[in-house]
Amino acid sequence: MIKTEGQKWIYDLRMKWIWLHLVRLFVISLAVALLLSAVLIYVLHMPPLVCCIILPLALIIALLRKPIWKTSQQEFCRYANNKYPELEESADLLIQNPDSLSLLEQLQRSKIEKRITEISSPQEPVKKLYAGLALLATALIISFAIAKIPKIKENNKSGSHALRPLPAIKENTLPEISDFSATIIPPAYTGKPERKQKQFSIKAETGAKINWKIETNIAVERLKITFNDKESVSLKASNKERTTWLFSKTLDKTGFYQLEIDGKKSDLYQLEAVADLPVIIKITRSKQHTTIDVGQPQKFNLNTVLTDDYGVNDAFISATMASGKGEGVSFTEKKLSFNTRFNNEKNKVLNREIDLKSLGMKPGDELYFFVKAMDNHGQSSRSDVYFVSIVDTTELMSMAGMTNGVNLVPEYFRSQRQIIIDTEKLLKAQSSLAADAFKNRSNELGIDQKLLRLRYGQFLGEENETEIGGDHDDHAEHSGEEEKFGDVTAIMDKYAHKHDIAEDATFFEPEMKAQLKAVLTEMWNSELRLRTYKPQEALPYEYKALRMLKDLQQKSRAYVAKTTVKTASLKPEKRLSGELDKITQPVQNMSAAQKDQRTTNLKTTLALLESRKAGKKFSEGDRYLLSETEKYMIGAAADNPATYLNALTSLRRLSLNKILHQKDIDVVQQAIQKMIKGDSPKPQIQTSLPAATLYQNYFNNLNKTGR
Amino acid sequence: MEFKYAVLILSLLLLIFLLYKEIKRASKARLLWRIFASIIAVSCFALLIIPVKYKSGFKNNANEIILLTKGADLDELAKIRGAKYVLGASNAKVNNAVPIPDLSYFLANHKDVRKLNIYGEGLSKHELRNLHEYELNFHPSEGITGIISASWPAQIKSTQQLLVQGIYQNKSEEKVKLLFKGMGSSIDSISVEGKSSKSFSFSTQPKQIGKAVYNLISFDGKDTLAKEPVPFLVDEQLPFKVLILASFPDFEYKFLKKWLYDNHYPLAFRSQISKDKYSSEFLAMDSINLNKISTNSIKKFDILIIDEEELAAMNAGERSAIDAAVTGGMGLFIRVSSLKALTPASSKFGRFEVSNTKEKELKVMLKDEKHKFSSLPLEQKLFLRSTQNDLPLLTDGGGKVLVNSTIKGAGKVLVSSLPSTFNWLLTGKKNDFTTYWSTILSAAVKKRNENQSLKILPQFPVVNEKARLIVDIPTSGKIPSLNIDSIRLTPLQNIELPFEWEAVFYPTKNGWHNLVVNQSAEPFFIYQKTDWQALKIQQKILATRQFVAKAKIKESKIKQSAVNVEEELSIWWFFVGFLLASAFLWFEARILDAK
Repeated sequence: MIKTEGQKWIYDLRMKWIWLHLVRLFVISLAVALLLSAVLIYVLHMPPLVCCIILPLALIIALLRKPIWKTSQQEFCRYANNKYPELEESADLLIQNPDSLSLLEQLQRSKIEKRITEISSPQEPVKKLYAGLALLATALIISFAIAKIPKIKENNKSGSHALRPLPAIKENTLPEISDFSATIIPPAYTGKPERKQKQFSIKAETGAKINWKIETNIAVERLKITFNDKESVSLKASNKERTTWLFSKTLDKTGFYQLEIDGKKSDLYQLEAVADLPVIIKITRSKQHTTIDVGQPQKFNLNTVLTDDYGVNDAFISATMASGKGEGVSFTEKKLSFNTRFNNEKNKVLNREIDLKSLGMKPGDELYFFVKAMDNHGQSSRSDVYFVSIVDTTELMSMAGMTNGVNLVPEYFRSQRQIIIDTEKLLKAQSSLAADAFKNRSNELGIDQKLLRLRYGQFLGEENETEIGGDHDDHAEHSGEEEKFGDVTAIMDKYAHKHDIAEDATFFEPEMKAQLKAVLTEMWNSELRLRTYKPQEALPYEYKALRMLKDLQQKSRAYVAKTTVKTASLKPEKRLSGELDKITQPVQNMSAAQKDQRTTNLKTTLALLESRKAGKKFSEGDRYLLSETEKYMIGAAADNPATYLNALTSLRRLSLNKILHQKDIDVVQQAIQKMIKGDSPKPQIQTSLPAATLYQNYFNNLNKTGR
Repeated sequence: MEFKYAVLILSLLLLIFLLYKEIKRASKARLLWRIFASIIAVSCFALLIIPVKYKSGFKNNANEIILLTKGADLDELAKIRGAKYVLGASNAKVNNAVPIPDLSYFLANHKDVRKLNIYGEGLSKHELRNLHEYELNFHPSEGITGIISASWPAQIKSTQQLLVQGIYQNKSEEKVKLLFKGMGSSIDSISVEGKSSKSFSFSTQPKQIGKAVYNLISFDGKDTLAKEPVPFLVDEQLPFKVLILASFPDFEYKFLKKWLYDNHYPLAFRSQISKDKYSSEFLAMDSINLNKISTNSIKKFDILIIDEEELAAMNAGERSAIDAAVTGGMGLFIRVSSLKALTPASSKFGRFEVSNTKEKELKVMLKDEKHKFSSLPLEQKLFLRSTQNDLPLLTDGGGKVLVNSTIKGAGKVLVSSLPSTFNWLLTGKKNDFTTYWSTILSAAVKKRNENQSLKILPQFPVVNEKARLIVDIPTSGKIPSLNIDSIRLTPLQNIELPFEWEAVFYPTKNGWHNLVVNQSAEPFFIYQKTDWQALKIQQKILATRQFVAKAKIKESKIKQSAVNVEEELSIWWFFVGFLLASAFLWFEARILDAK
C-alpha cells in the first residue's frame, strides 16, 4: 500500500497523532470518572461498583464526541501544509500515486521527499497529552480529598467517646408484636442525631427521649408498659384497629421495663442511661506553687487542656489574691476569662498569660487560682488550686529579729543586703554617670560580692577562690625542710597531703551545707554579672542569695522553752483516797437491733433453690421466700440491669413454671451470691459430742487424780 | 486306631520299597546316607499323619485356688497356671475360669481349699470376714482413674470455709481437669497430668444456709469423666456470751464491742472508773451485777476477755471464781502489755522483749490459716515464748509468737501481747479484723455440747445398700425414737457405750434424707450407686490389702498332687524332617550323581 517515502511519512504522522489522541482521551476520561465516582461514592453514598460503569461511559462519550479515526489522510495533508511551510503546500502530492502525477508534480514531490526527513514530528498532540495528564493528577488529588474529608469530619464529631450500643442479644418478643421500633432522641446538648433501633434493650444518654412504636398483628385491648416493676403506664392505641401503639418517656435513670399485652407479660428489657461526665481539666503548664523573685517578670503562663464527652461550654480562671500581713490580710476575688470563644468543642487547649501587675499584685502578695469549666449540659467542674507568690523584698531587707545597734562587720565585708542596696543605687545613678565610672563601680561591687562569697565559703571549709565547695590545688610548700633519717612520720608527711579535712571543719549538717552551697552559687552568678558590668542582671541573683541566707538564719535558730514552772509534790498516801460515795456506777443496756432479714432470706433462698434442683417442689412458705427474693432482686436490677435482669427473668420463670430448668436455677443462684456482699467471718462456737455422763465422769476423775 | 495302623503298615511298605530301590541302584555311592534319609523321610511322613502325644506331669497345689475379682488384668492372668475361679457373674467370659456365685458357699463346699490368690480389686468386707482361716495372697489391680480419696465436713457453720481435699489419680495418658462447682458457678479447678496423681484442696465460703450439693467434675478435654456430689450442710451461727473486763476503756475494746454487738453476740462489758467503781454495759442480754465477779455471775459466759492489770487488781476470791470457770470450760483471753507477769494465770507463757525493732509495721499471720493479713502500724516489742505444752495461734512475720494458748481443765487460756487490732477497721480492712477475732474467739470459747450426733456408715451410703446409722444421745436409759421419712427404725443399744444407738436402714431413694431423733432432725445424704466409684474401688483394694496383711495364719501344709496333662507334639517338627530328608534324596539323585 505504502509505496513512497512521503506516503509513509504522512501515514506515520497520522498513526502517531491518533494514538496520542486516544491515550489523551483515556487519561481525561479516567480523570472525569475518578472525580465523578468520588463524588458519587463518598458524598452520595452510592455503591463502589458505580466506578466500573462510569469509566467506560466517560470513555465512550469522549470517543464519540470526536471520532479521530475518521480523519482521512487528506486532512492530515492539509494540516501538514499549514503546519510546515517547508512542504510548500505540496503534501497532497505525497499521498497520490506517483504514476498519476505530471512531471512538474513529480519534481516537486521528489524535492519535498528529500525535505521531509528533516521535518520534526509535531509537538501539538504531545502537549495536549501532558495537559490531560495534569488533569488526571488534579482529579486524583480532588477525589482523594473528597474521600478523606468526611472521615476527618466524622472523627472530629464523634471524638473518643462514642456511645457503644448494647450488644445485640436475642430477645424474646411477644407473638402479638408484629413490628417494633424505639426512637431515641438524645438531649440537645449531646449534639447527636436521633437514632432508631429494633431492639427492646435500650442504651441511651441520660435525658434522652425514647419513643416506642409497637405494632401488633391483632387488635389488642390493653397494652401496658411497666418500669422497674413499679410504675405502670397504660398505652393508648393510635389507630382504630388498635394495632399501633405509641409511647414516649424521658430516660433519667438506669432500670428495666416490661410490656404487657392483654395481661400477657413479655420478658424484661434493659434500660441503660449513660450519664454525661463533667469536664476534665488538666493544667499542663504552671506548677502548683510558683514563686516569682525580684527581677523576674511578674507574669506567668497557664496552659490547660479541657476535655468533655459532648462539649465545653465555658471556662474561666477564678483567682483570689491575698495581700497584707498578719491580721491585715485582705482577699480579693477575680474572674479571669480565657480570651477565646467556646464552640462546644470536645477538646480545647487554652492558654492565658496572667500579668500579676495588672491584677494589682504587690510584692508579698499571693495568688490562689483554679480553673472552672462548664460543659454544655451545665455541669461544672474545677481544677486543683494553684499558688503564685511574689517575693517581698522589703521583708528581706528588714532587720527584724536581728537588729543590732552596733555594726560589727568590718568595712571590707559588706553584707549581701548592702550589695543589693548599692547595686540599686548604681542602677539609679547610671544615667548620670560616665561609662567608665559605672563600670568601675560595678566591678567594685563584684569584688565585694566575691569577698562575701569567700567569707561564706569559709563556713564550708573552702580554700579555693574559684570553685564553690570544690577541692584545692596541691600545695607546693612541702619542700625545703630538713631531712631526718629514720623518722617515719617525716617521710610519710613528705608524700602525704595533710591538713584539715574540709568536710569535718564545720559544724553544719549536710542539709544546711547544701543550702549554703546554693547560696554561694547565687553569689557567684551575681558576681559574674557585676564584673561584666551588668548590674541589672545581677540583681535577681543577689536577691535570691539574700533570701536563701535569711532562710538559713531562720533554720539555725533554736527554741528553748521556759522551765520555771514548779509543781507541788505528790502525796502517794492521799492518792485514790477520795470519797467516792457520790459517784454512781453507770449501767448501760442495749438490746440487739432488729436484724436485717435480707441476707438471711437470700441465704435461705439459695438452699431452697438447691433443693429445687434435686426435684423438690416449692411449698407455700417457699413461695413467700421467693417473692421476697424477687423484691430484693428487682431493687438490684433497677440499679444494675445488665447483671440482674436475666436472673430476675429466670427467677420469675422458676416461681411460675412447673417445668424445671437447671440453667435458670444456676443463673438465679449466681445472682443471689452476688447480692450477698461482705459476708465476713464470725467467731464459731465449737461443739463437742453429746455430753454423756460417761465422758463427764472420766473428765472429773482425771481432774481429781491429776496434778 | 485302625487308621493309625493302616498308616503305619503303608509307610512301612513304602520304606521297604524305597530301600529296595536304593540298594538295587547302579551307583553305590553314599548308599548309607541315602538309606538313612529314606528312613527319616518315611517316618516323618508317617508321623505327620499320626499325631504324637505325650503325658506330662507338674506339681500343683490342690488346695490353692486363683480367685479373680473385678478389674483383674486378664492378659497377665493368661500366663498363670492353676485352677481359676471368677467371683460373680460379671466376669464370666474369662477363659478356663469357673464362676463362683458366692464365695462363702463355695468355700464351705470345698473344705480342701486352704489358700486363695486374689486378683483384681479385692473382696468386700463381708466377703473377707469369712476368710480368717485361709492363707491369702493379694495381687491388686493397677488402679483406676478418678478421685481415690476425698474428705470434707458434712456440716459447717455459716461464714465458715468449706474445705474439700482429696487425691486425684490419673492412669490415662490424657490430661484431666478437675473442677469444683457449686451454686451454678465454678469455684476452683486443677489439672492433673497424664499418668500421675495430684492432691487437691478447694476452699470456698458457701453463702447459703441449709443443704447444698456441690460437685467435683472431671473432664478430659471435652468429655465429662465423672461428676461426684459433695453434699454438706450450713448451719446458722450460734451466738455465745462474752464478758469483757477492762481496767480502762480503750479503742480495742470499743471496736471489739461494736463488732460483737453488730453480730448479735450477747456481751457484758465492765470497765473501771475509779476504785471499786465500774461502768457496765450489757448488749443484747439482761443486766447482772458485775461489781463482784463470782462463780455465779461468771457461769453464764462462754468467754472472758480481760487485761492483765484488771486481772491483777482482782481479789483472790474473784480470781478463784475465774479459775473454776475456766476449768469448767470457759475461755479466758488475757491481754498483756508489760514484760513482767502480774498474775499466775497470765504467767503461763514466758515473755521477752525485742529491744531494737526497725520494723515500723507489724506483719501477723495465723498459725494454721492461709489468710493474708495486711500489716498493722505498730512497733511490736513484746512477744511470748512458746513451749511444748501450748499452741501458738498468731505469730509475726518472723515466727515470734503474739498470741499463745494452752488448756486448763476443760477450758482454754489465751494470752495476747498484741496491743491493738482496731487499726484494721480504721484502714478499711474489715476482713482482717473479723478473721483475727473470729479465729481467736473460736479457739477460746467454751465448747457447747450437742444434743445428739449422727454417724453414718459407710462413708458413702448408697441407694439399696445397707446403711448403719449410729446416734449418740446423752439421755441414756430411754429408747430413742428414730424415724426416716415416717419409717420407724428400731435402734440397738451399744453394749459398752449405753448412749450409743445403732440402726440399720436401706435407703431406696438418693438425695437428702432426714433422720428424726426425738423430734429433732438430722439430715444425711444418700448417694447414687455410680457416685464416687473410683474412691470406693480404692477403698476396697486398701481394705483387702490390709486384711491380707493382717491375716497371721501360718502357711498351712499344702498337699501337692501331680496333675497329668496330655500334650501334643507339634507336627511342624516332622514336616521339617520330612522336607530335609526328601530334599537330600532329590539333590543326591540329580546333582551329586550326575557328576
